[in-house]
Amino acid sequence: MRVFTCVGTLEAMMTCIYDAWEWALSHGHDQMRLQIEPVRQYTLFDTYVHVEADEEKAKSVIRSICTKISVDAYVSVYYATLYEQDVLDEIYRFLRYGFRHGSSVMYQLAEPVVMRMMQIQRAVGNEAHLLREFTRFDCISDAVYVSHLEPKSDVIYLVARHFADRMPSEAWMIIDDGRKTAAVHAPDEEIMLRELTDDEFDRLRYTEQGDDYQILWKTFFDRIAIQQRINRECQRNHFPQWMRKHATEFREEYREA
Amino acid sequence: MLKVERDQSIQDKLYILADAAKYDVSCTSSGVERRGAKGALGNSRACGICHSFAADGRCISLLKILMTNHCVFDCKYCMNRKSNDIPRATFSPQEICDLTVEFYKRNYIEGLFLSSGVLGSPATTMERMCETLYLLRHTYHFRGYIHVKAIPGAPDDLLAMAGLLADRISINMELPTEESLRSLAPHKSFTTILSPMHKIQSTIAAHRVALGKQAQMERSTINGYLPGSIFRVERGIEGEETAPLALPQSADLTRPFAPAGQSTQMMIGASGESDFQLLMTSQRLYQSFDLKRVFYSAYIPLNEDRALPDLDTPVPLLREHRLYQADWLLRFYGFHAEELLSAQDPFFNPQMDPKCHWAVHHLEQFPVEVSRVSMELLLRVPGIGPKSAKRIVQARRYATLSFDDLKKMGVVLKRAHYFITCNGKMLYHIPIEQSFITRQLVDLQRKEQWQVVETSNHRQMSLFDDFGVH
Repeated sequence: MRVFTCVGTLEAMMTCIYDAWEWALSHGHDQMRLQIEPVRQYTLFDTYVHVEADEEKAKSVIRSICTKISVDAYVSVYYATLYEQDVLDEIYRFLRYGFRHGSSVMYQLAEPVVMRMMQIQRAVGNEAHLLREFTRFDCISDAVYVSHLEPKSDVIYLVARHFADRMPSEAWMIIDDGRKTAAVHAPDEEIMLRELTDDEFDRLRYTEQGDDYQILWKTFFDRIAIQQRINRECQRNHFPQWMRKHATEFREEYREA
Repeated sequence: MLKVERDQSIQDKLYILADAAKYDVSCTSSGVERRGAKGALGNSRACGICHSFAADGRCISLLKILMTNHCVFDCKYCMNRKSNDIPRATFSPQEICDLTVEFYKRNYIEGLFLSSGVLGSPATTMERMCETLYLLRHTYHFRGYIHVKAIPGAPDDLLAMAGLLADRISINMELPTEESLRSLAPHKSFTTILSPMHKIQSTIAAHRVALGKQAQMERSTINGYLPGSIFRVERGIEGEETAPLALPQSADLTRPFAPAGQSTQMMIGASGESDFQLLMTSQRLYQSFDLKRVFYSAYIPLNEDRALPDLDTPVPLLREHRLYQADWLLRFYGFHAEELLSAQDPFFNPQMDPKCHWAVHHLEQFPVEVSRVSMELLLRVPGIGPKSAKRIVQARRYATLSFDDLKKMGVVLKRAHYFITCNGKMLYHIPIEQSFITRQLVDLQRKEQWQVVETSNHRQMSLFDDFGVH
């Protein structure tokens, strides 16, 4: 069996799909699989082929998905590339099925590869939506707003797009602490996604203190709860513990726990 | 009025006025899709966004505050009534705007929910609220969500002003019948509540038609599949037509009037109404007043009064929960209030949710075959909701569905499997028998019910406090 591997960016993954497909046309789709690097455990009888990102190939794959299947299908493939786990091979199987059946594929939920794609898209979409709710900005140095997140899937761009519409004329950035990437937005400009150097990351690490409005928000948060109806379980269902680490109103509790 | 509120910081005021506003249930930010704009702050999403969840499990979406908790009214159930001796405070318009904008920039909130006690007279209070909203929209350039309470008895031109500035406007009904209103809220009357509601409704409708939309508010798309839903049935306007409010000459007519519609709130358990009366009232409000939402709030005894339940009366949380479930059945599942309850059977079954209750009493219609059944009946199966119903209807065009597929689509099989067949077969070999299915379903819901009722007043027994061991 042949294994095509690539790094975890959208461009590389699409190129990997292109090259794998080309090879499979002469050898069969069952004779290969796709995997995202780093490969931790090489298997003995497989051949590993590294694929380098290529803009032209990636664009043509995306164009084919949009025209031969549908834009919705591309959206769900895009969401799947952001997913926390390596699902590149599942994307490939979905596309194979999709190119055979056309745009109706999105409704064929009885087909396992389609169902899996729907589940992945739902998971990524839900996480992005929760972070749109629970992202908290802190004001540093007069009107610059910084937020820290640790999402499972790589969703900060999806989250940042929401805020680009919401606060177009403010300076803000959203930092993914786990991946050390940041979405940076200057007033009236586009969002920039960039990887942070260790030095930058260290400087931005402790921005979560010293904003006066944190105390006001905490006051509001505590006063708005009705004592006679306290229901921690319900609260936990809606606001899971793992998302509380960077939420202003829970930070102290989280640190003590 | 005696004023002793010198030197209150904004922190003190927030402490008092957030606390005073917490009994208002409504905290939704849905119903308006508005893009952001350069130079301004904020947008609004049609789905609504919750930003946090308080210790009682309720969502925090808006900065819910009273402008003031001074009040000239003396409603018996209310914490802020004139005759209560509590700390009082008043926000200035600037303070409210600053708080809203700064909280919004930190993504704490989705917008502002502004309510108020009656300071002086309804007109002066409403005027000051409108001033606040005007400042927020035009000086602070705020494009986020605003929900404003209309003060009963406020003049028409101020209502028109509020509707033009806010996204949603609401008037609390609190009590669903004339008699209970007279005994518990002596300063309010049905006319001061229903007549502004009616005026706002006809203004919204007129404004929508002028903008090229249909007169009625949009409802969930699922209602498009349900010819029998309460929103599709011929609605009669009760009483005579009310003329729309006259809008000021300077009004920007391209901006919709209260685009997220109206809502209201009713208390559960303060007076003697049955669930049937409450649900029928909601249905009438949805149909003839075109309300977007009716909220229910379990009555929490705060004041001692002969006309009210005792202070140690338990909060009727389960009843409130059942009413919300039924409310959802009206708005998303095509049910009518008369199908769920009747004058002979006016209360919900505490052991089972209303949808299951309906299903076990209409077993002649079940089991249904998933691959053929109409959307209407599919939605009436317990364990199937609008999302999974849509998925089923789409997917069954291409393949026969198995129970496993249904589970992955989001159907709650533990409830649904009593009522459906896949490919002609049920999941288990079970009798379709009312007493059997009832027993099974009641057992399933025991935990859920325990959570609603017990977790809120549950307390660990202590050897030291309860038994005096030292």
